[in-house]
Amino acid sequence: MASIALQSLTFTYPQREIPALREVSLTVGEGEFLVLCGKSGCGKSTLLRHLKTVLTPHGRRSGEILLDGVPLQQVDQRTQSARIGYVLQDPENQIVTDKVWHELAFGLESLGMDPPTIRLRVAEMASFFGIQGWFEKSVTELSGGQKQLLNLASIMAMQPDVLILDEPTSQLDPIAASEFLQTVLRINRELGTTVILSEHRLEEVLPMADRVVVLEAGAILCQGTPRQVGKALKTLNSDMFLAMPAPMQIYAGVQSSDPCPLTVREGREWITRAFPQPLPRQELPGPEPDRGEAAVVLKEVWFRYERHGEDVIRDLSLTIPKGRFTCIVGGNGTGKTTALSLISGIQRPYRGKITLFGKEISRYANRELFQGMMGVLPQNPQTLFVKKTVKLDLEEILKGRGIPHQEREKRVLEMARRLQLQDLLEMHPYDLSGGEQQRAALAKVLLLEPKILLMDEPTKGLDGHMKQTLAAICQDLLDQGVTILMVSHDIEFCARYAHRVALFFQGSVVTENTPRAFFSGNSFYTTAANRMARHRFPTAITNEDVIEQWNRNKP
Amino acid sequence: MARRTRTGYRDVFSTCHPAINFFYFASVMLCGMFFLHPVFLGISLVGSVAYAILLKGERTARFYLWGLVPSILLMALVNPLFNHQGVTILLYVNNNPLTWESIAYGLAAAVMLFSVASWFSCYGVVMTSDKFLYLFGRVIPALSLVLSMALRFVPRFQAQARVISNGQKCVGRDASNGNLVQKLRNGMTILSILVTWALENAIETADSMRARGFGLKGRTSFSLYRFDSRDRCVLLVLLGLVAVVLLGAATGENDILYFPRIVVKPLSWWSAVVYLAYGALCLLPLILEGLEAYKWHRLRCKA
Repeated sequence: MASIALQSLTFTYPQREIPALREVSLTVGEGEFLVLCGKSGCGKSTLLRHLKTVLTPHGRRSGEILLDGVPLQQVDQRTQSARIGYVLQDPENQIVTDKVWHELAFGLESLGMDPPTIRLRVAEMASFFGIQGWFEKSVTELSGGQKQLLNLASIMAMQPDVLILDEPTSQLDPIAASEFLQTVLRINRELGTTVILSEHRLEEVLPMADRVVVLEAGAILCQGTPRQVGKALKTLNSDMFLAMPAPMQIYAGVQSSDPCPLTVREGREWITRAFPQPLPRQELPGPEPDRGEAAVVLKEVWFRYERHGEDVIRDLSLTIPKGRFTCIVGGNGTGKTTALSLISGIQRPYRGKITLFGKEISRYANRELFQGMMGVLPQNPQTLFVKKTVKLDLEEILKGRGIPHQEREKRVLEMARRLQLQDLLEMHPYDLSGGEQQRAALAKVLLLEPKILLMDEPTKGLDGHMKQTLAAICQDLLDQGVTILMVSHDIEFCARYAHRVALFFQGSVVTENTPRAFFSGNSFYTTAANRMARHRFPTAITNEDVIEQWNRNKP
Repeated sequence: MARRTRTGYRDVFSTCHPAINFFYFASVMLCGMFFLHPVFLGISLVGSVAYAILLKGERTARFYLWGLVPSILLMALVNPLFNHQGVTILLYVNNNPLTWESIAYGLAAAVMLFSVASWFSCYGVVMTSDKFLYLFGRVIPALSLVLSMALRFVPRFQAQARVISNGQKCVGRDASNGNLVQKLRNGMTILSILVTWALENAIETADSMRARGFGLKGRTSFSLYRFDSRDRCVLLVLLGLVAVVLLGAATGENDILYFPRIVVKPLSWWSAVVYLAYGALCLLPLILEGLEAYKWHRLRCKA
């Protein structure tokens, strides 16, 4: 087992004035589970990359990194490779070979182990992770969650003492993310491996942590046990609170002398203590009722990808009201993304009708559809970028439409202002952070002036602040009369901002309602705030709702 | 390990060591290509088609029946139209002789072609990419990794091309939009995004490789295959059969002269031995399969 110590580490990227890390001093004890959090771009990844020499970025650096008291630069590559395991963000990019078993053996091959040892290690890991079932499969056959588990397993096959994970679940859906984090917890608890994990979705991971370190602008803001950090952030009145689990956020919003709850269960007990008696049902304000006009109508739509394949969309009927924000939620593989591709006209149903503003979709010409009618923000915004800078990229979309150069430039600048991209216009799109890429892609789509905007999981990989920015942009669009349809796993976001929520199951909509009616009616598929407070405040679905009801009932 | 795939059952010969698989296919394909003696041709055709049916099932059988027989007949009839050699003249067509020898030669060539093609289709099923990598990766270890990475990369590239194409379609810029010039331009754009994407993501793959100690000295190569005693048995039988067949070839048992007159060696006990050996060679996968089926039957009966 190993301990890691950072001694006043300061690091500046080349050609930058402001240091990315400032005087970071930190010790991680043997077998500790440390969670590193902070806004995007606060230096989490930079810090983690310093813990392994081959991944350390170039730049000016001062301070010391010690592994078991020895400076890291003096620890040779072979020892570092074996002892420090590093799992990166993207599940796809980390996989090197084409077969699961080969991937598991990759690190051990690099270390020059003999085949019998590799056979044993690989067998051990496959058993520990329960991946015997797909041991001989091609990696292309795996789901995203399985891929990330494979990455973890192939690191663990090298039997590292320290496991470093850099936002490992940001590309996974909630269920796969939860499974992944449980496996990490198991590694920590059962094998005693030291875990250092950075994450922005803290709901699940915070209760697991022994210690939490909050970074802000490259420096440590506060650290301690999750409860201590919660308290510290509350007194500091930091906006980092947005990333904390719902019970902690609610706790921060009300007056209470009890200790801070971490999990939904603790939060429930805490509310029961504060309100021993059931309260009369109170209605909370919801979004105003629909004006009745429909932007998109799907009527008994059926779709499958191949003639002899299975139906992906079955008997789907759905009306999307004009000028409203509709969210589609539901598990993986229920056909949500396929439904979007049907509405955007990329796929055609084999039965049923889709109409946009009363006109059947097949009657729209391609040009008519995608220029001024339909805007689609794909799940991966990188697929939209074609030019060297953001500005050129945005101008590109307006080309070939007979718009004079000056007018084009004006529109691009106006759009950049609306989406807060002014400072990023001269950068390469691939150099932007996830949230910035998302905004740049959205700007590109919006330059086509769509009346309907479709978004596929736009909140994936975004931290709390960037989600707020996205929500503000959506609100701005709604004010202009744009209809928004979003597919998402992020029920917290849907509960807060949507006008309508629909639950997808087996290729069709099971139920569809206003967020308040939708989430307060579900017992499992609902927000953490609702699960925590439903026994006292059944209609409260967001943290703010709970805080409001608490304060209303507790003078 | 490595004896079963996702689809469940694999035939016995496929589960043998990759070296045996490769050696077997090399021998039957070479023999199939160079032996034009009708008995050898027939054996090769029967063996290859039977194995292909075993590997790929009933659908292939129907395909062979309806595709193979007419094609062979067609080739046998087309050859005499261009080839007028031979002494046994059957009839004249437009003052050109139609000879028995040229029909026989066309038939032989067609059978040869189809049996080799059939062996190749079996080869494709049995010699999966990881077997091939294992065999040739031992000769050049770096090549094995490169090939494995390429096999990972190609499907990823294809999938990403589809995603990008859909993304571009949504802004009206797909390779199927607009006139020819626009189509070409949009296609180029997609390709350019794809290349940027690939380069960008390759950085992370390189990080992942280095983080797992790639580049350290003394890299080994792991595989799931082991040369066990059954493999040794099969190899001995295989070598024996090949030796007999080659010996037969050396003594001219497979020789045949088509023109001007068909000449073959008369049947003798030695030629019978060679035919039998070649038959056993071509039917080896089926024999192994049969033996295993018999063993299972026996085990069931005892239990």
